[in-house]
This record gives sequence, structure tokens and C-alpha cells, in this order.
Amino acid sequence: MIAQKLQRIRRAVWSWRQPLTHLPTLENAPISDLFVWRSSHEWQTFFELIDIPSLFEDDTLPRHVSLVFFDSSGRRLFKRNVDLQANRRQTLDISSMVGRSYGEKGTFAAFHSKTPSAITHLGSFLAERGYASYCYRDAPLRAYVHGNLDAVAQGPDGGLQLLGGTSFLRRQYSLQHELLPGVVYEFGLVNPTSSVQRITFKLISVPSGRIISAEVENVPSGGIRLVVVPVDESSSVRLVIESHLVMARPLVFRIQNFKLDVFHG
Amino acid sequence: MVSPTSTTSGGFDQPRPHEAEGMSYYPVLSAPGCKGWVGLSNFSPNNWEIRRRQSLLINVTWASNGMWITKNLGVLAPGACKTITASDVADIVPADVLPLLSLTLTPPVAQSEVLPRLDTAQTSIPAWRATLGLSSSSAQTSYQGELDAFPLQASLLTFGPFLQFGEGIKNHLILLNVENSSASRSAELEIYDAAGLKLRGRFPVSSNAANSIPLERLGFASGDLPLFICRGMAAIPLYFSSAMDGAYLSLEHTHPPASLVVHGRRWQAQKLLKNRWFAKASS
Repeated sequence: MIAQKLQRIRRAVWSWRQPLTHLPTLENAPISDLFVWRSSHEWQTFFELIDIPSLFEDDTLPRHVSLVFFDSSGRRLFKRNVDLQANRRQTLDISSMVGRSYGEKGTFAAFHSKTPSAITHLGSFLAERGYASYCYRDAPLRAYVHGNLDAVAQGPDGGLQLLGGTSFLRRQYSLQHELLPGVVYEFGLVNPTSSVQRITFKLISVPSGRIISAEVENVPSGGIRLVVVPVDESSSVRLVIESHLVMARPLVFRIQNFKLDVFHG
Repeated sequence: MVSPTSTTSGGFDQPRPHEAEGMSYYPVLSAPGCKGWVGLSNFSPNNWEIRRRQSLLINVTWASNGMWITKNLGVLAPGACKTITASDVADIVPADVLPLLSLTLTPPVAQSEVLPRLDTAQTSIPAWRATLGLSSSSAQTSYQGELDAFPLQASLLTFGPFLQFGEGIKNHLILLNVENSSASRSAELEIYDAAGLKLRGRFPVSSNAANSIPLERLGFASGDLPLFICRGMAAIPLYFSSAMDGAYLSLEHTHPPASLVVHGRRWQAQKLLKNRWFAKASS
């Protein structure tokens, strides 16, 4: 009994008033992940756009999605509206939309212009957590990865609310993936909170458990850091991310022999 | 799971099919021209849900003649990683049977009619996962995932915008299912074009298997949105693409419909969406 209470208290330290994502303050506000864009002579980014409202209801009213682009510091760059096509798929060339004027990486959100009443009646919010894909060095195949976070909501005036929760204590996220010698890894981490986050990327030797390196980054609100890790060690290593983020789940770009694999941590 | 549905990997992505403790398995995938592998880790994905460091048993479980059979493959030390390939279990698990790996504190029951309940560490933010991968002779693709038993009455509805087009590109849907019962059963997968609901194909699928379905000859074009329905079985829908005879690979899963909304009664939204599309596809 006492042990159970102690365990509950211990858990509360990590969970009480520390949600992964906050509820938007505005009813009906569309929510989106902050998807990572990369645009350079080596990288192209695409997004699979689906008319989500049309999956819930048949109507003939025109709908669109507002794509809002941010640079790596979380500064809003521009907005682009794209008309939706009911029950169809549009593969958007995000790199072409961003161009080469805003750096080589950043994030974007996709807000649907209408939330079906069926969703509102359930007290729910429409969420775009869809699918991005990346093409590396003009490969004939794109590598897909799904969205994984309800990061940002849009108000009727276009104002944005970051929804990511923070932790009272710094906590660790350990990527359950072995990083192998001879492979290049690039870890993208987005800060979905309303404050600057100090984030430590630690590489730990798998055989010995010792810390090999620790890189500290201050990531602005809504910003992204891309940490490049060529694994030069003779043996494998693993990644630990330390921060006040409730779940510092990175996007992993794995490049071996110039071939890309991308997945969420 | 709150309502019968498909699910996907990732733990955080959506609740598990059922809330039993420590029930995750790690399937060794298979796909045309590729061999599957699983990267196991014996360290928690966070430092606040599980703190203890203990050696874990590596097990492989598979369905055979109405029983789940489990054998030990070794021990994984605290902090260690180990990759188990399809070749590593080829002498143990019969061909064309889905091998399910697990990490446990104590040995699972060696033979059982129901999928062994695993005595293992579990986390929820995120779930304790493994790297599930496919490799050709010159490339690999993977995702972080786990697999839990689906309820018998569950079903699948998902929209899959992952087909890629170009010379030499091949696309497959891999439907990944495991159920508590070791008895294999069949269901039918229906594939539609979501616009107009033109039926593009029907395929038999089996439980406790990684069902590979070629999508090439179904006539989909780049703007089409494929709709996948399986009324009699839930599964994780994986999309596997390869180009230049496996020189380039891609693998990812789609979300279940509940992931289209957040907060509130989101599982009701999933039920609503399933009822709507199941009815539309029947009319």
C-alpha cells in the first residue's frame, strides 16, 4: 500500500500538469504537426495532402489548407493556400514552395480551413499529422515518414498557439536504435513549446556505456535543430536527448552509401 | 483498444490494442526481394517510467499447428543492442511463418494456445519499441515499432497515399496482424479508389502474418487516394516501395482514422468514419 502510494507520487512528479500537448484555447481550431522541411541541392521535401474534412462529410463547398512555413528559428516566413480535392491525393513539392532563400531547413504546418461538425460535436479537433517524404541526391524513390505530434493550433485570425508541453524536471529520451559506425545520422528535433528549450544531445557507447560526446543546443520556440552525427567510433553508439520537453522524439535521417532511410524516434 | 480498429506502431501514436501489461512483440518483417530484421534495445526510451537495469531474455514466438511456440534466443545485457535477422531464426521458425521477437524478464510459456503474456518492462511515452527493418543487398529501410495482439472483432480502414511511380518502382502493402489465437483465419481486404469508390481489388489475408499485397496492377495513378478496408480483421498497414531492384527502399505505415482528430471522444470519430466508409463501400 505504502509502496503503491510512493510509486504514485514518484510518477506524479513526471506527469502532474505536464501534458504532452495542451488543449487549444479556441474551439474548432485546426491543429497540425510541425513537419520538417529540407531544401538544398541534396534534399527535397514533399507532403501528401489529403482533404481530411471530406473523409467525414460530403459537401461541395470549396475547402483549402493553409500551409504556414517557418525557418529553423521558428520565425514565420509565409503562408500559402492550396485548394483541396475531395478523396484525392496531392503530392506537394514543399522544397519548391520554400525555395532556397530561407536556409536549408525549417518547419511547416498544414491547417485545414474547415472542421467537420461531427468532429466538433465530439469535443475533438481536426489534426494534420500526415505524411512527409524526402528525396536525397535525386534518388528514384522518396523515403516516407509520418507526422507524430499535435504541435500547433491556428486561431480564426491566423494567430498560432504552440501546444507542446514541458516538464518540471529535465528528462531523457533514449532513441531505441543502434547507431552504427560508417553511417551518417542526422537528428531533427522541433521545439513545439512556447519557450526556448536547452537541449543536450548525448552519444553513449553501447559496449561501455560511457558518454562519448554531448552537444548543447538552445532551440527557439517553434524552431528546429538538425544535429549531424557521423558515427566514427569503432563500435556502436546510441543517442540520448535531455531536455524539458515531455517527449523529445527526434526525426532520424539515416544515410548509408548515399541512401536515405528516415523514421521517427 | 477502445474500439475495434487498426493500429500502428509507435506507442504514442495511439493507444495499444488492449491495455494488458507488457504485451508488445517485435515482428521480423518480410517483403519481396528483402529480408527482415529487428533491432532490439535493452534500455528504456525514457528515464522516468522505468529506472531498473536488468538483463532481458530474447525470445522468438511463432504459430504452429494450433499452438504458439516460444524459444529462447539468448540474453540481452542492460544497455545493450542486438539485431536479429530472418536468417538468425530461419532454422527455428518454419518458412512463411511470422517470427515474433520479445524481450522478457522471465521465460514465456513454451507452448500455449493463446499468445503468451510477456513479463517485460513497459513504457507509454513512448512505448518500448524496436527498429523493424527490411534490407536488400544494397539498401535498408526501417521504422520504430511494436506489435500487440488485435481483438478478433476488429477491422481496418485506412487511406494510403504512399504509392510511388516511376520506372522500375514496385509498391506493396504489407498487412501485419497478430491475434491471441494461434489458429490462422482468413479475411478479405478490399482496395478502392476513394474518389468514386471504384473497387480495384480483393485479396485474401491471414491472421498472424505479414500479408504482402502487390499494388502495381490495380491501376492507381499518382492523384488517386487508395482506400483499404478489411471488415474482418485489423492490421498495421505498412507500405513498402522499392526501386532499381532494391537499390532504394521505403517503408512507412499509415495512421488509423482516430489519428485524424485529437482530444475529446476521438475514438467515436474513428467509429463514425468507419461506419461511413464501410457503408459507402457496400452500396
